[in-house]
Amino acid sequence: MTHQTQWTTSIYPLLERTGPFANTGFEPEALHTCKILVIGAGGLGCELLKNLALSGFKDIHVIDMDTIDISNLNRQFLFRQSDVGKSKAEVAANFIMKRIVGCKVTPYFGKIQDKDTEYYSQFTLIICGLDSVEARRWINATVVGMFDPEDPSTLKPIIDGGTEGLKGQSRIILPSFTACYECSLEMQTKPKTFPICTIANTPRLPEHCIEFASVLEWPKHFPDTKIDGDDPTHIKWLLNTALERAKEFNIAGVTYSLTQGVVKNIIPAIASTNAIVAASCANEAFKIVTNCSIYLNNYMMYTGDDSIYTLTFPLEKKENCSVCGSAKVNLDISKEKTLLELIDILKELPEFQLKKPSLRSLKTSLYMQAPPFLEEKTRVNLDKPLMELITNGEELTITDINLPISLQLTVTFV
Amino acid sequence: MQQPNTKTQRYDRQLRLWHNHGQQALENSKVLLINGSATGTEILKNLVLPGIQSFTVLDGNKVANADLGNNFFLTRESVGKSRSKEVTDLLRELNNDVEGNHLEEDPTNLINNDLNFFKKFTIVVASQLIEVELLKLSAFLWENNIPLIVVRTYGFIGYLRIAVPEHTVVETHPEQIVDLRLDSPFKELSTFANSFDFSTMTSFELSHVPYVVLLLRSLGEFRQQYGHLPSSTNEKNEFKNLIKQKMSGVTSETENFDEALSSAFRTYSPTSNTQSILQDEKISNLNLKSTNFWILAKALKSFIENEGNGFLPVAGTLPDMKSDTTSYVELQTIYKNKAKQDVASVNNYLLEILNNLGKPKDSIPLEEVERFCKNANFLRVIKYRSLNDEYLNASTTLGFTTNDILHLTVLKKKKFFYKGKLLEDLNSNVVFFVLIRAVDSFWEKYRRYPGVHNSEVDADIPLLKRCTQNLLQGWGVNPGLIQDDHIHCMVRAGACEMHNMAAIQGGIVAQEIIKILTGQYIPLDNSFIFNGMNSTSTTFRI
Ligand SMILES: [Zn+2]
Repeated sequence: MTHQTQWTTSIYPLLERTGPFANTGFEPEALHTCKILVIGAGGLGCELLKNLALSGFKDIHVIDMDTIDISNLNRQFLFRQSDVGKSKAEVAANFIMKRIVGCKVTPYFGKIQDKDTEYYSQFTLIICGLDSVEARRWINATVVGMFDPEDPSTLKPIIDGGTEGLKGQSRIILPSFTACYECSLEMQTKPKTFPICTIANTPRLPEHCIEFASVLEWPKHFPDTKIDGDDPTHIKWLLNTALERAKEFNIAGVTYSLTQGVVKNIIPAIASTNAIVAASCANEAFKIVTNCSIYLNNYMMYTGDDSIYTLTFPLEKKENCSVCGSAKVNLDISKEKTLLELIDILKELPEFQLKKPSLRSLKTSLYMQAPPFLEEKTRVNLDKPLMELITNGEELTITDINLPISLQLTVTFV
Repeated sequence: MQQPNTKTQRYDRQLRLWHNHGQQALENSKVLLINGSATGTEILKNLVLPGIQSFTVLDGNKVANADLGNNFFLTRESVGKSRSKEVTDLLRELNNDVEGNHLEEDPTNLINNDLNFFKKFTIVVASQLIEVELLKLSAFLWENNIPLIVVRTYGFIGYLRIAVPEHTVVETHPEQIVDLRLDSPFKELSTFANSFDFSTMTSFELSHVPYVVLLLRSLGEFRQQYGHLPSSTNEKNEFKNLIKQKMSGVTSETENFDEALSSAFRTYSPTSNTQSILQDEKISNLNLKSTNFWILAKALKSFIENEGNGFLPVAGTLPDMKSDTTSYVELQTIYKNKAKQDVASVNNYLLEILNNLGKPKDSIPLEEVERFCKNANFLRVIKYRSLNDEYLNASTTLGFTTNDILHLTVLKKKKFFYKGKLLEDLNSNVVFFVLIRAVDSFWEKYRRYPGVHNSEVDADIPLLKRCTQNLLQGWGVNPGLIQDDHIHCMVRAGACEMHNMAAIQGGIVAQEIIKILTGQYIPLDNSFIFNGMNSTSTTFRI
C-alpha cells in the first residue's frame, strides 16, 4: 500500500506487513476497490456501516425496506427522534457519508427480493444483519445458487449476524465450502406457538388470552384487515379483548407490553449485543477481503448472561441440504396414510420448517395451496390414502412459501 | 390500560431484559471514561443509548489525524481540539436524557494530585492507562468500593479486567424458576391435591389434572406405604407405577401424565451457592454500611431457621402445564399466596434487623424483598481479586504455572477444531494476556511500543521476547512457553487500535458494565481475552 491516509492509520500496521497469522494471498489493496453489500440497516446494520467505513471500505451498499420506529432508538444509533418514519437505509447512508469523508454508501429503500442475481453478483461480499428467517433463507438460496464451480468469481461469501437479548452469533458462509444458512435451519429457535385447543378451551397463561384475541377473535371482527403490530389502535383492541378473556378465566398478567410482544413476536434487543456481533462480522469481512489474518471457521456463538462465553466451531454442511446439497429427501411411510397425514409429517420436519407445502407428482398436482380454484380442486385428495395417489418410490416435488427452492421427496411405502 | 409513553417506547426492547427497576438503576449511574479512545467511545455509545444518568470523559489529548481513522465520535473539524470535549459533544447526540461532561486534563495528573475526584462516579473505565497510575487509581477505587474496568485493544487482541471487592446479584435470570415443593408440600398444597377424586373423573377430566397434583398424590401414596421418599431404583420404579396407574382411565392423550413422569424426581433445596452465601461473615457482621443484599440475606437466613423449617421461601411461580383453566389458576393462586406469606415473614425479620441497625423502615421496599425471595436460590456473590494484588503478588499468589496456563484455556471451552498449520498455537488465548503485560513492560523500558514503525519490526521482536521472558521468570513460569509467532504477532500489530476490535470490546465491556450497574445477570470474574484472528475468547480468573 503506497498511500497512508489519515483514515487508515489504525489498520496500516496489519496491512503493510504480513505476519504469522496472516493468510496466504495477502491483499491489502482490495480493501479500497471492493464493493460490499450490507442487508439490513437496523440494529446490526447501523453498526456494520460504521465499522466497515472505519475499516477502510469505500464502496458500501445497503438495503432495508423498513422505516424508523421510536423503539429503534435505544440501539440504532444513526437515527434520531426526528428521523422517525423515514427510510432506515437512506438515513443511515447519509449519516455515514457525512461523518466519514471518502466513504460512499448507496442506499436502497426496498426489499431484497426486488433485486436479481445480476445485482447481487456485483459485490465481493455480502453481510446480513437481518431479523427475519425468511429473508435470510431467500438471500442464502440466491447467493449460494449463484455459485458456479467453474468460475471462482461467482463465489460470494455471506457473513451473517444475529442477536437476541444477551446472546448472538456471527458466521461465515462460503457457498459450497461451508454449511449454508439452510443447512443449519434446525438451530433456529422457533417462535413460541400455542395449540389452538388450549387457546380456545383451556387458557392458563396471559399469552393464551392474547392469542385468543389475535388468532381467533380478530379475524371474526375484521376479516379484511391484517393486524399491524405498530398500530396502537390494533394493539389496544387486542389488549381489551385479551383482558376480557383473562378476567373471565381469572388469569393475571395481560399488559400492553406483553400483548405487543406476543403479537409482533418481539425479541429483546440492546446496543451492546448488537455492537459485539456486528463488529465481529465486520472484522471477518476485513480479514476475508485483505487476507491480513486467518478468519473465523465458521461459526461463533456469544452468550453474555452468565459471564462472557463464546464458542467457535465449524458448522458442518448437511448432505441433503435443500439449497447447497443434493436436495433429495427420503421418507418412509405407510401406504395407508392419507395425503393430509403426509403433509402434517412434512410440516413437522425441523430441517425444512414448511408452512403450507404444495405437492406435485410427476403426473399431476396432488395438493396445491394456491390459487384458490386449484386448492379447491385438489382438496379432495387430502383424505385419500397415499396408495391411491402415488406409487412406491415415486418422486414428489414440494414447494412452500418458506422454501427457497423446490424440494424432491422420494416416498417409500413401509 | 394506557398506551406506553415515549420513554417506555424508546426503551421497550431493553426493558424486556432488565425491567423498570434495572432501568432505574442505569438512570442513577455516573460513568467515568479515562481516555476518549476508539474503544472508550464505543463503550460509552453502548451505555448512552440505553440511558445511563451521565458520563464524563477525562482526556488530556488533542484530537490527532490518526484518531479520525478509528473513532466514530470525531469529525475532520475536531482535529487539534480537545478530545474529551469533541467526543462528548457527539456522544451526547445519541440520547437527550443523558448528561455528558468532559474534563480536559491528563488523567495522570489527576490520579497523582486529586484522587477524590474519582469518588463521585458509580463506575470507572480505564482505557489504555499505564501501570503505575493504573495501580494507584485501582487501590483508591477498591477502597471506595467503586468498580474499575480495565480495557485494552491491541491489534487483534482485546483484554478486559474487572475489579471491585464484591459484586452481588439477586436477579441472575436463570432460564426458569421452578419451585413446586413436591417433596415437602405445605398444607394448602396438600389439601388442594387431595381434593381431586380420580375415581369419578371422565377421561377428559383426568387428562387435564395438573401434573403437580398427580405427583403429590402418588408421593402421598408412596409415603404411606414406605414411610419415606422413593430413593432406590426399585422404589423409583414403584413410584412411577403409582403415577401410571392413575392413567388407566384416560383414553385420549396423556400429556399431563408424561409431564408428571418426566418431573417425578424434581426436588428443590438450597443450592450450594445460596448455602455458602448464607454462611458469609457479612451476615453476622451487619452494620450501617452493609448493603441491602446482606441485610436481606440475614432476614432470609432467619426465615429459613424458623418458619421455613430449613427451606427457602416459596418462589411463587408455576410453569405452564397441561391443565384445565380452573385447576391451573387455583394451583397458581396457592403458590402465589404461600409466596406472599413467606415474603411477609421475611419482611418481619427485615424490619427487626433494620430497626436494630437504626435504619429507616422503608429503606428496603417490599418489592425488593419480593424479588430477593423469589430469586433466593439463584443469588450470586462475586469476590474479585484486586488489581494491586494481581500485579504486586504475581510470583506468590498469581500461581501461574505452565500447567495452569494450559489449563485455563480449556476451561468451559471445547477444543477448537481448526485444521490450519498455526492454529494449534492459538488455542491458548491466555498467552495474549501475558503478551499484553509484556508490551507494557516494553513501554516501561523503551518509552514506546514495539513495531509502531515498519523499520522497527525486525529489531523489536527479540526485544519483546526478552521482556516476555523476564516477566515470566518473575512469575516463576517457564520462559520458553510463549512462541515466537505470538511475539511476532504483537510486534506486527504496532499497538494499533483497529476500529472493529475497538467496537467488539466496546460491546463486550458495555455489556459487563450494564450487568454491574443493574445488578442483574452475572458479570465476568475477572479477566477476558478476545482473539480477533480466529474469533475465539477465553475467560479466566487470575
Ligand atoms: Zn446448505
